[in-house]
Amino acid sequence: MATAVKETGDTGIMANKEARQQWLAEQTAKSKEKQVSFINSISSKLGRARPTAAPAHPFRGAPDFWREFEWPIDERAEKFMENFRAVGGHSLRLGSMEEAKQFIVDKAAEMSAKYIIRQNQPELAEMDLEFALSEAKVSVWNSDPEEQWKARAAEADFGVVVVDHAAAYTGSLTVLSSKDKGRSVSLLPTVLMAIIPIERLRTRLGEVLVEFDRAGREQLPAGIHFISGPSRSADIENDLTIGVHGPGVVYAIIVG
Amino acid sequence: MSGATQTNLGTVKERAGLALNNDFLRKAVKFTTERLRTGKEKAAADHGNWDEWRERGRQIRLHTIAHLDYYLNLFVENARANGVHIHFAETAAEAVEISLAIAKQVEARTVVKSKSMVTEELHLNHALESIDVEAIETDLGEYIIQLAGEAPSHIIIPAIHKNRYQIAELLSADAGETLAPDTQILAGFVRRKLREKFLEADIGMTGCNFAIAETGSMVLFENEGNARMVSTVPKTQITLMGMERIIPSFEDLEVMATLLPRSATGQKLTVYMSGISGPRREVDADGPDEMHIIIVDNGRSLQLGDPEFQELLNCIRCGACLNACPVYRHIGGHAYGGTYSGPIGAVLTPALKKNIAEWDDIANASSLCGACYEACPVKIPLHEMLVYLRRRKLEAGRGDKLEAIGMKGFAAVMKNSKRFGAVLKIGKLGQKLVVRDGGIRSKIGPLKGWNSYRVTPSLPSESFREKWPTMEQEIRHGLQEMDPAVKSRMEAIVRERQSGGNGGKGNGGHGHHG
Repeated sequence: MATAVKETGDTGIMANKEARQQWLAEQTAKSKEKQVSFINSISSKLGRARPTAAPAHPFRGAPDFWREFEWPIDERAEKFMENFRAVGGHSLRLGSMEEAKQFIVDKAAEMSAKYIIRQNQPELAEMDLEFALSEAKVSVWNSDPEEQWKARAAEADFGVVVVDHAAAYTGSLTVLSSKDKGRSVSLLPTVLMAIIPIERLRTRLGEVLVEFDRAGREQLPAGIHFISGPSRSADIENDLTIGVHGPGVVYAIIVG
Repeated sequence: MSGATQTNLGTVKERAGLALNNDFLRKAVKFTTERLRTGKEKAAADHGNWDEWRERGRQIRLHTIAHLDYYLNLFVENARANGVHIHFAETAAEAVEISLAIAKQVEARTVVKSKSMVTEELHLNHALESIDVEAIETDLGEYIIQLAGEAPSHIIIPAIHKNRYQIAELLSADAGETLAPDTQILAGFVRRKLREKFLEADIGMTGCNFAIAETGSMVLFENEGNARMVSTVPKTQITLMGMERIIPSFEDLEVMATLLPRSATGQKLTVYMSGISGPRREVDADGPDEMHIIIVDNGRSLQLGDPEFQELLNCIRCGACLNACPVYRHIGGHAYGGTYSGPIGAVLTPALKKNIAEWDDIANASSLCGACYEACPVKIPLHEMLVYLRRRKLEAGRGDKLEAIGMKGFAAVMKNSKRFGAVLKIGKLGQKLVVRDGGIRSKIGPLKGWNSYRVTPSLPSESFREKWPTMEQEIRHGLQEMDPAVKSRMEAIVRERQSGGNGGKGNGGHGHHG
């Protein structure tokens, strides 16, 4: 009986899925057809034929004077921390990953963190927070295909990530999504602990952005997220509120 | 947000009458716009070379729009290659139809939305409700005005017109318990409530600040994290995108990221800036399974090839022109009666609708002082467009006859500065007869057409030209007048923020929109 129900259920889902795929295929066909008239109508309003080659773009990117601007590494770290703190974030510079680990362990104890989720990154595996924080439940993103990972991130007190890039001038972290790096880990927990290996810290936002042009479409992850401080809003009488939807407490730890 | 409440409340003049009578609105709008404007000016000055950045931003936008057929097509091809389902909508009705079809396909019961001006334009929430899909605005300010059943009154701070007591009342009704009028408590309630909504919603819906042609990525700027939520948690993502949102590359995004947050809220960068390139990859454990981008025209392409209005498509929706505009600061957003308010709304609304006749009176809701142009990070000559609009209205025979005569007279007088001087002298004498409370209200003589719409300030003992530096000062630095109680409360907030550890100096507008 139970088996029969299950089979019917599966068949229903399969049929649904097929109908869905068919609908999507129809939509794609329709969209491709419409694309021609939509784009041609733009050309005709612009009063010329549709260009076949890329137009010369002489003003691409930032002005030239800006591209030469770069702070030496120590100043870069100082400016990053200054900017990050100015928007309500916490930031510090530590000498080693070992110190960073101790800092996170101490904070977890101080703030009574019970649930911690971390990205599945080698630097974090080496830290072995699972062992150091035996009092808390430490989950490793996407380490078990059966787990509800979004729910694990949503319940977490701490999310721990190693960032992919950082930019000092705007005080921004950049995190990229992958199988081992969930978008939810830097978003859903109450506190975000972000480690910045100093060699990933640049001066300008543009130094990070241009990497994505260089990599090209096929190499880009689904999610690229720049994070510049704790979640905030001033929607009620201009009164600044921290932690509206995203993490309200963010630590940016520069290592090195 | 329901769009239906926002239109057809008579003319701008009548709506402005309503707005001007609402004391809190007027003061709150003034306070907020001044805060945003000061923040913007400081951020621009701190950054330096602001005019060179503006010029660069303008050039990138001009270039992209001049080759929109090429870049939009490139974006579409790349986004499709990323696995995005692309749809084209020439009209608002088509965009709604596509959105509803997707909602039906995925059997959606709830849609969580992050701020999107395009969806306001389409009145999409109402349409979703009509097929029993609950649409929830998740941006704090948008959530508040959705509960109130109102439309946003400012592009960046949508609930600018509500005070904390009104907000506490709305949220208490929503919570089923009394919530204190305390910002932290109110925001805390919304955070908890919306957390559940994010996790159970079937569709996440976003706007789009920029779309990168070369990689097929869409970019969102925001402060709260709700746009990230709606594009990460639900299984299906729908993005509504104006067809002109394109920029060529991530390199170009640096320029936009330099101009947009500084111009909107005075921030160096919004808390979150996300570049999303398609649905989740096969191996990813979060992100949507399915992603749709609906590319919306809805009147935008009417500006293409129009030498006077094509630059409207360069707009990056920062709201700086609202904050700079002396008229907006007096009457607030709702008086404009369209989705977009302020100087940009005064031009964009009739331009998108291509029925200047119906919306003609908002072109008059401007003093043509040019503060909007100076504030614009991509240098759109809005004040000139307002004049073109008035001219077209007159050409279409819809103009006020008296104002037409007034404008001709104005042109004749302005061509000759001696005559201008002479007219001023006559005016100074003549006005003695009609001045009351420092304003001219009578509807007689040469000012009749003009005064039917506004109260003309009496001619000063010094001439306009002599007084220009002072007036400029006022326009640039704000008119000083506010209820002492409101002022002291708001000032206390600012002081607290400056001394307190949790705020820092940044202005925390919530996100931008798309």
